[in-house]
Amino acid sequence: MKRRLLGMCLLVSAAVGLAAGPAVAADKPISGNLRIVIGSSATSGDTYQNAAIIADELSKKLDINAKVDAVGVSAAFQALSRAKDGSTVMFFHDQSYLGHLLGLKGYDDLFATYKVGPTISINPGDAFVGVKDSKYKTIEDVIEGANKGERIRVAIQPGGVSEVYYGALKNAVKVRYPGKEANIVSVKTGSQGDKNQLLFDRQAEVIHGSVQANEQYTRLPGDDQKAMRFLWLPARKATIAQANPEGMGGTSREELLKFTSPNASVTLDGKRDFTFDKEFFFIYNKDMDPKIVAYLDKALSEIFAEGKVQVTMKKAFFIPNFQPSKEAEGYLKKKAAQSQKLIEATH
Amino acid sequence: MDFLAAITPLELMLVVSGVMIGIVFGAIPGMTATMAVAVCLPMTYGLSLNNSLALLLGLYVGGISGGLVPAILINIPGTPSSITTTFDGYPMAQKGEAERALKIGIVSSLIGGLFSAVVLFLFAPALADLAIKFSYVEKFLIILFALTIIASLSKNLLNGAISGVLGIWLSLVGTYDLNTGGNGDIRLVPGFLEDILINGFSLLPVLIGLFGLTVILEEAAKGVPPEPLSHFKLGDGKPFRFSVFRGHFGTLFRSSAIGTFIGLLPGIGGSAASVLAYAQQKNLSKHPERLGTGEPEGVMASESSNNGLTGGALIPLVSLGIPGDSTTAVMIGAFTLQGLQLGPLFIGEHLDSWHEIMTNLVLANIVMFLVMFFAIRHIVKVIQVPKHLLYPLIVVMCAVGSYSANSGIMFDVWTFLLFGVFGYFGHKVGLESAPFIIGFILGKDAEVYFVKSIESYGNLAIFFTKSPIAMGLWVLIALSLGYAFYQAWRNHRRECGA
Repeated sequence: MKRRLLGMCLLVSAAVGLAAGPAVAADKPISGNLRIVIGSSATSGDTYQNAAIIADELSKKLDINAKVDAVGVSAAFQALSRAKDGSTVMFFHDQSYLGHLLGLKGYDDLFATYKVGPTISINPGDAFVGVKDSKYKTIEDVIEGANKGERIRVAIQPGGVSEVYYGALKNAVKVRYPGKEANIVSVKTGSQGDKNQLLFDRQAEVIHGSVQANEQYTRLPGDDQKAMRFLWLPARKATIAQANPEGMGGTSREELLKFTSPNASVTLDGKRDFTFDKEFFFIYNKDMDPKIVAYLDKALSEIFAEGKVQVTMKKAFFIPNFQPSKEAEGYLKKKAAQSQKLIEATH
Repeated sequence: MDFLAAITPLELMLVVSGVMIGIVFGAIPGMTATMAVAVCLPMTYGLSLNNSLALLLGLYVGGISGGLVPAILINIPGTPSSITTTFDGYPMAQKGEAERALKIGIVSSLIGGLFSAVVLFLFAPALADLAIKFSYVEKFLIILFALTIIASLSKNLLNGAISGVLGIWLSLVGTYDLNTGGNGDIRLVPGFLEDILINGFSLLPVLIGLFGLTVILEEAAKGVPPEPLSHFKLGDGKPFRFSVFRGHFGTLFRSSAIGTFIGLLPGIGGSAASVLAYAQQKNLSKHPERLGTGEPEGVMASESSNNGLTGGALIPLVSLGIPGDSTTAVMIGAFTLQGLQLGPLFIGEHLDSWHEIMTNLVLANIVMFLVMFFAIRHIVKVIQVPKHLLYPLIVVMCAVGSYSANSGIMFDVWTFLLFGVFGYFGHKVGLESAPFIIGFILGKDAEVYFVKSIESYGNLAIFFTKSPIAMGLWVLIALSLGYAFYQAWRNHRRECGA
């Protein structure tokens, strides 16, 4: 009798489980684990930090276990190609389409091969930095220097946003002083430390640094070998204007705005200035169910509507910039087209 | 004692938890201190800065220290920086001195950790200024200096050199990484393997394949009798006494200093610290021929240097905002998310946080010592487990470790298996694992710094003329090589005489 009762109980439990399973699945297009692969293998960079912030919020909102895996570009795209069920999504920035435009291996045409998800945030901190005791005190000095025939070495990390900024500077010289753009030359390097070291060794006149990494160096006295100065912030003025008023470290938002367009001008075509926000966004498998896209869009809209995530992001000097998938795709396509023109003009 | 009063019970708990989790990560082959910090980083979002630092520094110190356990007990370095611990630690374990070797390693780790903390506290800004004197050229020469250990570690000079070069060559397989300033091209890979080998071979799966699986395959070929790893019972060998350190204060000081120095140079991996310290120990020891056969001084050199790295790697972090190693690189994220900026003004502007870092670093080292020193008598029992039970477990653990090494890439498991088999057949034709792996570890950095030096300065002569530091490094390289050749010649004569 006891055995029969136990058997009945197990059957009922199994039936309830089976019935409840699809109900839950129907209710929630994704449940359990969500793997967020990022296009960087560094757990110290801005991609990981932004991904971790949003993964944390999604975990709470959807009651799932969202985990960020820093696997790097090729492994991330490979993982994404295999995951049609939405269990794996990718989080990366503009390099995901710039890599293809620059002809790098491991990058397919983002818009043709994958589905673009919502934009999440901007890192407005990218900056061109020079040595404090240099004769190039502004980005205008750099452009004029190139015009005078001076060879100006710009340390960049090849194959991404850094290369676009470098292309923009070269293009500005080309637009204003045709033929002089050859005086702007790139020094291809890697980490922030390596770029700083090139300045310390006076092996570069300008480096692609960041407000976050270089701000303290700009406050060192001029006779210090390590002292630096900001020359140009490629982010839009409107983006920096959204940062907390205290800015970063000892440099206020108002002071940072002096290094953005139009105060620091790098022309795109002689009429407009080049500006570029380094944007972080989701990328999905092309065949991922549109219900999951809508589900994540809705969850993220609610997260941003609550307003807490913005505080976390701004504390780390990131600018929240949520756009649902549809708008994000159109917006990023426009950005890619502008970048393509620039790359074609300078390569 | 004010700093002790500032420690809250929560902070203490976080340091202890961090150290314990870190030790577990460090002790599992394939998992590292960096991974421990990365995995636990999201936990810090809800914590205050001080509590975050307590957890992260605990993880860091625990993770670096935990690597000595498998290195000594099963000859698999838990972390790349404990490779040289296997050279003498494992032979000691085989002689029935596992507990002694572990305790020597733990005390040496404590000394290295505390030494580096003192250096960090007293000299951080000054040493950061020294660190920036080391450009691409000097960094390349330091790596070249570390590579000279291949000569002194080789059982047969020619085989060792070929193994080392093969290691360097295989480390270069895959993309010339854009993140290091490369051109993104794929090298040394046939076209049909480009998709698989685009990122080359990862260090950790190669390391545990070569050190773990190779040995197991060799044992399997012999039949794996149901006997434990060591024929000796626990306690059969020499017991641990603190007097073992008598006469070795120079070793501890020198190795800790080397670890701290390498730590403060951004871009030179932590493994180089223990390799360099071990090389110098071999060059300066009264009995260099005994190193590699189970000498306590070998364990002391390796472990004091890799823990010396911890404080060293924090020097550029707090003084330049540049991480000294991969683990401190992850920590930058924690600071950023707390809205705190690292750089040359950090110490002056955030004195409280600076003191908190120092307090937690010292505390983490003390907790690491207490946890490991007293738990070791239980952990050491692992060598009493019969091989036929232990080996399958090790293989599973290594496979899991390989899979998680880069956050879940299946090719890493294949790499682990491939290099296990490669090591098995390689040993039959004279391949030497230690020189091979040292070449593999240092090869990539050597290439980057060599190419970047040429790109920056445009000529080869710069390696000799760049600075007095570069010239000094050439003298050290020459001395190290000369001594290794002299040792090889002396051993050859001794063998001929016998």
